[in-house]
Amino acid sequence: MTPTAVRAELREGDRGPVLAISGRLDVETAAAARREIHAKLAGAPAKALEVDASGVDHGDMSGMVLLYELEEGRLAPGVRARITELKPEFRTLLSAFPSREAIEALEPHRARRTLPVEVGAHSLSLLRDLREQVTFVGAVAQGFGAALRSPRAMRWPEVALAVEKAGVNAVPIVSLISLLAGLIIAFEASQPLAMFGAQAYIADIIGIVMIREFGPIFTAIILAGRSGSAFAAELGTMKVNEELNALTTMGLNPMRFLVMQRVLAGMLLMPVLTAFSMLTGVVGGILVMLAMGFPFAEIWSHLAGAVRVSDVLVGTSKSIVFGAIVAGLGCLRGMQTKEGPSAVGDSATRAVVAGILMIIVVDAIFAVVTNALQV
Amino acid sequence: MSSAPVAIDVRGVTVGYGDRVVQQNLDFQVRRGEVFVILGGSGSGKSSVLKVMIGLYEPVAGVIRIDGENLVEAEGENRQRLLRKFGVMYQSGALFGSLTVLENVRLPLDEFTELTREEKDLVAMAKLNQVDLLPAAGRMPSELSGGMQKRAAIARALALDPGILFLDEPSAGLDPITSAGLDATIRTLSRGLGITFVVVTHELQSIYSIADRCIMLDARRKTIIAEGAPADLRDHSEDPYVRQFFLRQAEPAAVSGGEGATR
Repeated sequence: MTPTAVRAELREGDRGPVLAISGRLDVETAAAARREIHAKLAGAPAKALEVDASGVDHGDMSGMVLLYELEEGRLAPGVRARITELKPEFRTLLSAFPSREAIEALEPHRARRTLPVEVGAHSLSLLRDLREQVTFVGAVAQGFGAALRSPRAMRWPEVALAVEKAGVNAVPIVSLISLLAGLIIAFEASQPLAMFGAQAYIADIIGIVMIREFGPIFTAIILAGRSGSAFAAELGTMKVNEELNALTTMGLNPMRFLVMQRVLAGMLLMPVLTAFSMLTGVVGGILVMLAMGFPFAEIWSHLAGAVRVSDVLVGTSKSIVFGAIVAGLGCLRGMQTKEGPSAVGDSATRAVVAGILMIIVVDAIFAVVTNALQV
Repeated sequence: MSSAPVAIDVRGVTVGYGDRVVQQNLDFQVRRGEVFVILGGSGSGKSSVLKVMIGLYEPVAGVIRIDGENLVEAEGENRQRLLRKFGVMYQSGALFGSLTVLENVRLPLDEFTELTREEKDLVAMAKLNQVDLLPAAGRMPSELSGGMQKRAAIARALALDPGILFLDEPSAGLDPITSAGLDATIRTLSRGLGITFVVVTHELQSIYSIADRCIMLDARRKTIIAEGAPADLRDHSEDPYVRQFFLRQAEPAAVSGGEGATR
């Protein structure tokens, strides 16, 4: 069959105007056919219309939709055309279009929820989430208790693997970001301090800021982005594949099997990563000061005078808590994964967002407590 | 049926991954309008053969012609045009989870046609109507049962009115009633619209109810071991493996019992 272009002719029949459509009426020609039909019907009186489709020799559903629209009065407003002489194979296609009633009976896309319902549902889910988090913290604490009693039950090779992936592999990025942060802080501080001739105190600022605050926070945020999300995605995929169910029905506790070693790994690797961050951050500050012409001995004496042992201890203990939070939230969000193609991605997002939020909140708590204790 | 023109011509095709050959030297023709079934036990590579036929994987050797044009060597615009000659229903349905059923079916129309928005909706609804799924048009794929998901996937594969439809394991994971319903849909589409079907399955009931002709692949001999109408193969095949398959006997080659003995 050699497909020809579509043609439409308007002629006067016995019982009113007849629109004769012929040629090829398919996905390729539908747009041209619509233009042609519109043009031919433009000047015609809006009365009864007959469509002579005997000349249609090739067609598909995308072409037949035009005949359906003519039949339903959608193309020529107010005129419901009568389709005649359509070949049976195309009649089959045309008959597949749903009736007007069937279209109207379709379920609405999605029932809109009213504001109070939305607020209520959201509050409930927040409360439920809080409850799950408390339960989770309890389960992790219980897991640590069990691990202390029988350390051999802990899956140490997996702890090592998690430390390598989340810790060792993160050393370059943590070092680079901290170095640049140290450079930037030193640069920005040098301008206002210059007004008082106090640029030597850049060393004090950089030491305290990097060791007490930014070292742990930067490292924790990088860990949340790199590994919190990865934990959530790993456990989420396992949940979607029913691997978590398989563990449970085998009588194995997913907490002990999957969560404990990741949380432990987080707590072990964070102080080390943070030490890298503190060190490179301070190095960044020192580089700026050296470039400004300060001798190293002076920089060092400022640093040694400003940074106390308690600063290092506070920074390090923060980092352990941050490690537990980021790894734990990653695992929790992974285990909470729902069904559907976007579920794993949602869990990873939730892990990172909740992780960063909790880091800042806990850091604020640390600030208040250490201030009260004067350390 | 044998006089109908050839829709898909598979010549000397070898399918494999790396050094591993799954099937070699396959020769068969699918004729326009027939329901052609690719049979085989688990691991015989029937799904791999299908993936080569639809251009997802390249064959190690051989030629696949669709309406006389070589799919293996087609590139660019030419390949796109060839790909639009057929639709594919994947084993899992592979519906886009973020779109409603109607939007899933409308997606190819959005991309490849110049219809108005309203017309595209109407065509998508007509497609869903053809597979008896119109009432579920506004639902999300995750809200559908397995059988409904496969129907929706067929509707989407049909969206651009391809002449050929490839179905990968349509009855996998479905109960017998749902599966029979799907078979009925396939028959209706085949008889009513003259669509050519290439179906990969190992479901005996399905084979009898839909297949005009089938080929059987064997994992050990790595080639086609039987070709013909399913009833002929069941009743007249000399090959012990083929008879075993159709009679649903477990192992080994000692097949001497009467027809249907264990069915």
